[in-house]
Amino acid sequence: MKKRIFYWISGRNVKKPIVSDIIKTYDVDVTILKAKMEPSEGFLTLELNGNEDNVLNSVEYLKEYGEVEDISQPIQKKEEKCIDCGACIVHCPVGAIKFEEDFSVTFDIDECIGCKTCAKICPTKAIVVYDL
Amino acid sequence: MKTIKQINEKIKNGDAVIVTAEEMISIVEEEGAEKASETVDVVTTGTFGAMCSSGVFLNFGHSDPPIKMMKTYLNGVEAYSGLAAVDAYLGATQANSDDDIGIDYGGAHVIEDLVAGKEVELEAEGYTTDCYPRKRVSTIITIDDLNQAMLFNPRNCYQSYNSATNSRDEKLYTYMGKLLPEFGNLNYSGAGQLNPMQNDFNTTTKTYNTLGVGTKIFAGGAQGYIAGEGTQHSPAGGFGTLAIQGNLKEMDTKYIRGATIPKYGSTLFMGIGIPIPVLNSEIAQTCAIRDEDIKVPILDYGIQRRDKPTLGVTNYKDLRTGKISMELDISGEKVDKCIRTTSVSSYKTSREIAGELKDWIINKEFFLSDRVAGLNTCAPKPMKADAKLVRDIIKRPPIVAKETISVSEASKILIEKNINHLPIVDENNCIMGIITSWDIAKAMAQSKTTISDIMTKYVVWASPDEPIEMVAKKMSANNISGLPIVDNNKKVLGVISAEDISKLIGHYI
Repeated sequence: MKKRIFYWISGRNVKKPIVSDIIKTYDVDVTILKAKMEPSEGFLTLELNGNEDNVLNSVEYLKEYGEVEDISQPIQKKEEKCIDCGACIVHCPVGAIKFEEDFSVTFDIDECIGCKTCAKICPTKAIVVYDL
Repeated sequence: MKTIKQINEKIKNGDAVIVTAEEMISIVEEEGAEKASETVDVVTTGTFGAMCSSGVFLNFGHSDPPIKMMKTYLNGVEAYSGLAAVDAYLGATQANSDDDIGIDYGGAHVIEDLVAGKEVELEAEGYTTDCYPRKRVSTIITIDDLNQAMLFNPRNCYQSYNSATNSRDEKLYTYMGKLLPEFGNLNYSGAGQLNPMQNDFNTTTKTYNTLGVGTKIFAGGAQGYIAGEGTQHSPAGGFGTLAIQGNLKEMDTKYIRGATIPKYGSTLFMGIGIPIPVLNSEIAQTCAIRDEDIKVPILDYGIQRRDKPTLGVTNYKDLRTGKISMELDISGEKVDKCIRTTSVSSYKTSREIAGELKDWIINKEFFLSDRVAGLNTCAPKPMKADAKLVRDIIKRPPIVAKETISVSEASKILIEKNINHLPIVDENNCIMGIITSWDIAKAMAQSKTTISDIMTKYVVWASPDEPIEMVAKKMSANNISGLPIVDNNKKVLGVISAEDISKLIGHYI
């Protein structure tokens, strides 16, 4: 299964190799989509890939050192505002936005990592981001 | 041979055959141009993109007592009112007078709000005369309160447009959208095979087959007219433009949309469609133009000069696939690179415009008009203004140092040469880092002794071909006071400092 999460790690645990722990212990593939370290806390956006039990166990392990939140739907396109220009497409780091055959612009919400790059680029401000 | 009068008769009788420019391609391919010119009467076209040179003439009607409006604001956006008492021209790219809002709500957004029927705050100030005793006026209006709201775009509907990429190692925010560093993307604009002017262009005579002054068109969802050739009209190079007019009161927010290109400005997305009467086989052939037939030059917007270098040529068909490959010259080496492409105009809406115009004609709501005159042939001239380049004020020979010198030797150089910036170079004189007098002061305080410990390794640099305006912008953006000038191989040619630039502005005898 593939699971995307936001992970907040508390200050006293930032030096612990938690991500490599779950890779070694639970045999999950981890993609770090985003990482930000602050003086006494860290924020990560992770994609976990592996068999279901392992992924869920690794999430339980992560919870011991910080807080886990599922990435639900971080972004939404306001259809009435979108003009289907496509200016956002090349700026999506994970290729979640594309032209359909009829040249309408569509979002694959499952792929979205909530980086907000598309929202910043959109000329008509048609993309709403939900801060989590 | 048909005439526009005959075609209008057929439309009236419901006998006319109307197709979009996309549909015309296969008709001509299958039947040939001769036969297609007999079967098809009108080809409809469409385009929907950012058209910065857009705006509206507004007449507010007279207040009591009357005012001569001199400074006029609509929702905080200034409209030019150096016309008669209560007339103003609101330009799409005008930024908000409130710095905090700026380009996020500019002229184009006011235009969209007017079309949407929303309430708009009008504030105006004038000088008092016997005719116009009132000094100020402040009220709320909607488009229905205006006597006239006349869209007049002096230049839009570009026949062709360049695509844009960026050779620099920093991202750029341009009117073609955000351009990622090192050829990270290629942005293009335009409807290609649906483009109105492209479908009417006679490539032999470099003129337009049917469109001209007085041609009735689809303008922002209403029926408008071509007023003449647009500004910077350049048919010889295939870069024709149109000046158009239309009644804003009849327009639709679907086809007239306020937008903001990030860190560039506000602009109006405008929909234009032109019907082309298929009078003969030549016109039928021209209307069958395909995306792959339309050349699109690839320009390097990394060179911030009027004449940007052309890196190659592509076409709309390839651009629409989402990526193109091209050979690039990177630091003197030929490199094959695959570049992702994206559109900054809407092909989907262009299609809808061509379709809607087709429906209008089929439903007998739209008839074609004969042009009164063709478009003038002209070629745009550049502005007469000298460019001051980095190479013009460069000091030679460059004062540089190797990484092996000591901090005290470096401080000696700065003092003896009376400079503040010392580029650190390798054995080929290529840039490795830079130290400033401030770095030396810091090194003293922190007891650091080697150059590599104190030098800035991520150096912001300038090339000799850059205009000094760009260097000033770089210095202010990076909060630095000087930067090395390097050639294509990163070899240091000199240093340019804030003092050098201020001398150009604050020059005294």
